[in-house]
Amino acid sequence: MATLTRQDLNFGQVVADILCEFLEVAIHLILYVREIYPSGIFQKRKKYNVPVQMSCHPELNQYIQDTLHCVKPLIQKNEAEKVVMVIMDKEHHPVERFVFEISQPPLLSISSETLLSHVEQLLRAMILKISVCDAVLDNNPPGCTFTLLVHTREAATRNMEKVQVIKDFPWIVADEQEVHMEEAKLIPLKTMTSDILKVSHSQLFCTESQKLNEIL
Amino acid sequence: MDYLYLDNIDEFVNDQNKIVTYKWLSLTLGVHVNTAKQMLYHYLQQKRNEGSGTPLHATYLVSGKCVENGSKCHKVSVVREDKLNAVKAKMDVTISVHVYSVQRAELKDSSPLYNTDYDAVKENIKNCNKYSTIRCAAAVPMSSAEVQRAQEMALVPPAGKEISKTGLNENTSATPKPSAKQPAGIMGMFASKNASKSQESSKEVKTEQKDDSSLVETSKSKTASKANPMSNLFGKSAQKKADEKPNKSVKEETAASSTAPAIMEQSQTSPKSKIDIKDEQSKVSSALKVESKDTRNKTKRPEVVDSDDEKMESQQKKRRRIKKPQPDSSDDEVVPDSPPVPNVQTPSPKKQVKREPVSHQEVSITNNTLTEKGYVSESYSESEEEPEPNSQAKDSSSLKQSFGKREEEKKEKREKKTSTANKPTKQPSIMGFFQKK
Repeated sequence: MATLTRQDLNFGQVVADILCEFLEVAIHLILYVREIYPSGIFQKRKKYNVPVQMSCHPELNQYIQDTLHCVKPLIQKNEAEKVVMVIMDKEHHPVERFVFEISQPPLLSISSETLLSHVEQLLRAMILKISVCDAVLDNNPPGCTFTLLVHTREAATRNMEKVQVIKDFPWIVADEQEVHMEEAKLIPLKTMTSDILKVSHSQLFCTESQKLNEIL
Repeated sequence: MDYLYLDNIDEFVNDQNKIVTYKWLSLTLGVHVNTAKQMLYHYLQQKRNEGSGTPLHATYLVSGKCVENGSKCHKVSVVREDKLNAVKAKMDVTISVHVYSVQRAELKDSSPLYNTDYDAVKENIKNCNKYSTIRCAAAVPMSSAEVQRAQEMALVPPAGKEISKTGLNENTSATPKPSAKQPAGIMGMFASKNASKSQESSKEVKTEQKDDSSLVETSKSKTASKANPMSNLFGKSAQKKADEKPNKSVKEETAASSTAPAIMEQSQTSPKSKIDIKDEQSKVSSALKVESKDTRNKTKRPEVVDSDDEKMESQQKKRRRIKKPQPDSSDDEVVPDSPPVPNVQTPSPKKQVKREPVSHQEVSITNNTLTEKGYVSESYSESEEEPEPNSQAKDSSSLKQSFGKREEEKKEKREKKTSTANKPTKQPSIMGFFQKK
C-alpha cells in the first residue's frame, strides 16, 4: 500500500482535489435545496455513488468552478480557513450563510485502502445532511442570490491579488455588509473528521428584524 | 409489545433530523421489514394524532397494476404523501401501500432516500435481505474466481472499442472538475456554450490519450497515489485504455488502407458497447448519471440498489433524449433569471444534428481513425468557410492536432461524416486556430 505523508507533493493536491469536488457538489446541492434557482436547470448526476443535483447552466457552473479553482491553491497550502456560501436577498443583505470550515489535522497520511472510502462515506453523509437541511431552516424570500466568500488565514489574499489564477476572474475583498450578519442564529449541520481533513459545515441564518415586523 | 421503538424513531426523526426509511429502520433496529413498516405507520399515526410539534412528512410506496401507453404494467412508485391519493386513483388495482419513509424535511427529490439506504445496505451487504421477504435461492455471492472471470469477460469485448467521453470521467486526474455534461433536452438552451466548454475539457483529455502511453502511466500512477481502491477501479479502466491504445496505434498505421464500410459498421455497433462501458465507468467514478426527470412522481423499481438495468435504461433514455431535444425545449423558459447567454437560440435542426455526431465521435476515438478523419475534415472546412463541411479526410498525422479543434467545432456540425482518405492541406491554419484559443 502506498503511503503518502504530508511531505509528498501529491498529498496536498489530493486533499485539495477531494475537497474542491465536494464543495462543488455541495454548492450545487444547496442551490437546489434552497431554491435559489429554479429546479428546472438541475440535472441528476452521480457523486460518491449517490444521486445529486447539479446545475446545467454553463455560466453558473463556470462561476462556481472558477471560484473553486482559485480556492484550491489556498487549500493546498492550508491557508483557507473557511469557504462561505452566502445567500442574499434582493437588497444584498445576507439571509443565510453556509459555512464550510476546513482544517487539516497536523498528522496526516493517506495510507490504507479504507481511508478514501471512509472519506467518501463521510462526504455522502454531508450531502445527505444538506438535503434535509430545510427542515431546520426558514424559507428564503424570493429573488435571492448567492455569493461565495473565502476566509483565509493570514495574508494569503495578497498573493492572490498579485497572481491572477484565472484570467478575468478577479477576487475582491468582501464588503462588510456581505460578511457580517445581524442577529445571526447558528445551526450546526454536520461535522466530519477524518485523517486527511476536517470539515465542519455549519449554517448561520439571520432572522432580521424587518422580517418579524412583516409577520406581525 | 413494548413501544420503545416509538421513542427511537422519534429520536431519529426529530432530534437527529434523519430520514427514516423502513429499510434503514429494519437494519438499524434489527427487525423484519414488515415490522419496520408498521412501526413507521404507528409512529406517524401517533404523531399526527397528537397534532403538536414539528410537521412530519412521509413518503409511501404504492404498488399496483395500471395501463400505461396502452400496455398493462405493474407499477411500483415512491410517492409523496400529497400525491398519494392521486396515484392510487390512477391505478386499476392497488396491490400494496405502505410507508416508505418518515422525515421532517419536505423532500424535493428522491436522492436523499437512496442516500439514506446506501450506507446501511453497504454495511450489511452480505445479508441485506436478512430482514426482507424477498428471497431467491439462486442468488448467492460469486466466488472470487468467478468474479475474476466476469471482470475479464467484461474487459475483453469493449477492448478495441471506444473509450469515448467516459474516458473523460474516469481518468481526469488532471482535471478534477466534473467532466463534460452530456447534453439533454434542457441543455438545448445552454448547448452552445456548454458544448464549447466540454470540448475544451474533452480536448485536454483526449490529447492526453492521444499522446504516448506514458501519459496513461502517469495518470495511472497519480490515481494510484490517490487511493488504492479507487486506483484499482481506475487502474482497471486505465488498463483497458492502455490495452486499447496499442490497438489504436496499430489501426492508425493501417488507417489509409482500411475500408470505409467496415468502419461504419463498427461504429454502429460500438454505441451499444458504449453502454456497457458506461455501466462500468459509472460505477467507477463520478461519471454522469442522467436519470429520467421524474421528480414529480418518484418511480423506483424494486431493485434500486446496484441496478445495472437501471443504468442501461437511463443511458438508453439519454440516447433517446439526445435524438429528440425538441420536446424538452419547453424547459428553456424555466430559467427567467439566468444571465444573458449568447448563442442561446441555436436553431433546433442544428441541435439534432450536432448530437448525433457526438455519439459517433465518442465511438471513433479509439476505434477507427477514418471516422475521426471524417470529423477532422468537417472542422477544417468550417474554419475556412462557414458552410457545410465536405469530407476530405486527412492523414492520421494531422489527426492529433486537429483532434482538439474538431471538438471545438462539434457544436457547429452539420452532418455526419463520410470517410475517405486525403492528404492534409491546411496544416498552418490548425495551429493558428490553436493559438487563437
